[in-house]
Amino acid sequence: MTETQAKWFLIALGLYLALGLLFAVPFLLKGAAKIDGDAVEGSWGFKLLILPGTVALWPLLLSRWLRFDAAPVERSPHRDAAGEGR
Amino acid sequence: MGHAYRAVGWNRQKKIYDRTLGLGLIAYLVLFVVVGLLRWPEHSEETLALRALGTGALLLLHVILSIGPLARLDHRWLPLLYNRRHLGVLMFCLALVHGVFATVYYHSLTDGNPVVDPLISVLSANQRSDSLAHFPFEIFGVVALAILFLMAATSHDFWLANLTAPVWKALHMLVYVAYASVVLHVALGTLQGETSPVLSGLVGVGVVWVLGLHLVVGWRERGLDRPTTGSPSAEGYLDVAAVDELKDGQAKIVTLSGDRVAVFRNGDEVSVVSNACQHQNGPLGEGRIIDGLIVCPWHGYQYQPRCGRSPEPFTEKIPTFRAQVRAGRVWVHPTPLPAGTDVEPARIGAEA
Repeated sequence: MTETQAKWFLIALGLYLALGLLFAVPFLLKGAAKIDGDAVEGSWGFKLLILPGTVALWPLLLSRWLRFDAAPVERSPHRDAAGEGR
Repeated sequence: MGHAYRAVGWNRQKKIYDRTLGLGLIAYLVLFVVVGLLRWPEHSEETLALRALGTGALLLLHVILSIGPLARLDHRWLPLLYNRRHLGVLMFCLALVHGVFATVYYHSLTDGNPVVDPLISVLSANQRSDSLAHFPFEIFGVVALAILFLMAATSHDFWLANLTAPVWKALHMLVYVAYASVVLHVALGTLQGETSPVLSGLVGVGVVWVLGLHLVVGWRERGLDRPTTGSPSAEGYLDVAAVDELKDGQAKIVTLSGDRVAVFRNGDEVSVVSNACQHQNGPLGEGRIIDGLIVCPWHGYQYQPRCGRSPEPFTEKIPTFRAQVRAGRVWVHPTPLPAGTDVEPARIGAEA
């Protein structure tokens, strides 16, 4: 990687993480409880622990929050064959 | 889940596990530096501390990768698997400190920005990708650290519920990419500054150990994913086992409808459920029925055999299957029922 490429990579990464940090504040205060009922009374320690993941995976969480999705049900051959999630 | 999230669901076993882990790690780091100072006086304290952190993380990564297959080979290893996530987070912390320390130590020589410039230096200082002996090994460390970060950051049950177990597992299977990156990081790094063959030799032994364990387990389980065949009964049931094969409170694992199912015997009753625990997709069929509930061998999640539902207040549920006992054999309908569907158990001795 050249120095210029490294600079642009770090700028893009920094921007992505800064947006994630901005998103994390309202998400941890309100959004997590909207998409997962078990987070409604989640402790502050829990919120602190999911902060790094929230910063890293914020586009996924944002899309779920905007769609007011409940926690998804997993897909598996058995669940698919049983007609779940259709 | 069905109850409010906390940072860590502490219990006595986890406290003992973490205390042992912490003390063992401190002992390893101190011992490495002290022995290193005596054995290699030409190395600085910083270099030895850097190596202590790196080798500590590498050692823990080997332990983490070994626990799964060891627990499949012998259930006495299961207690180590129970709290493996704490082991993983600790390993990531060690690797992170190693990475930050190495970046500051080797790349903070300019007068520019103290945060950005060392990072640019790590990514771009060495561009000798045409030479194996001078290959930019740092990049493999960066890749491994990024993967280990993602794994540590998503280790809480919130992520299991919100990514779902199969997606979470797929994400965490990247540990093998991280392991390959770490091996390359160490192997190429030692080519550039290490005269002793000890470190590269130990890494080679570690690779053979990890690969060997996984191959042995793969060999032992090679038949489990073979679909159950045979002539179906008039109602479409398939013969999966003789009643005598089923030990009380335990299961036989077979494959139906593209995935493993667990055929459990509970006294004179037979119930059949999907083999994957909803928590981390642990192998329920390797667990036991205790107090009337199927208990996952990995983290103790419980399910009622006849309906595949966790007892309240928990909300996990898994697909169930219809079963019959006829002429001393267990027959299972291969079409799974929606998770949580109550199914009357087949009764041994009550067959026509």
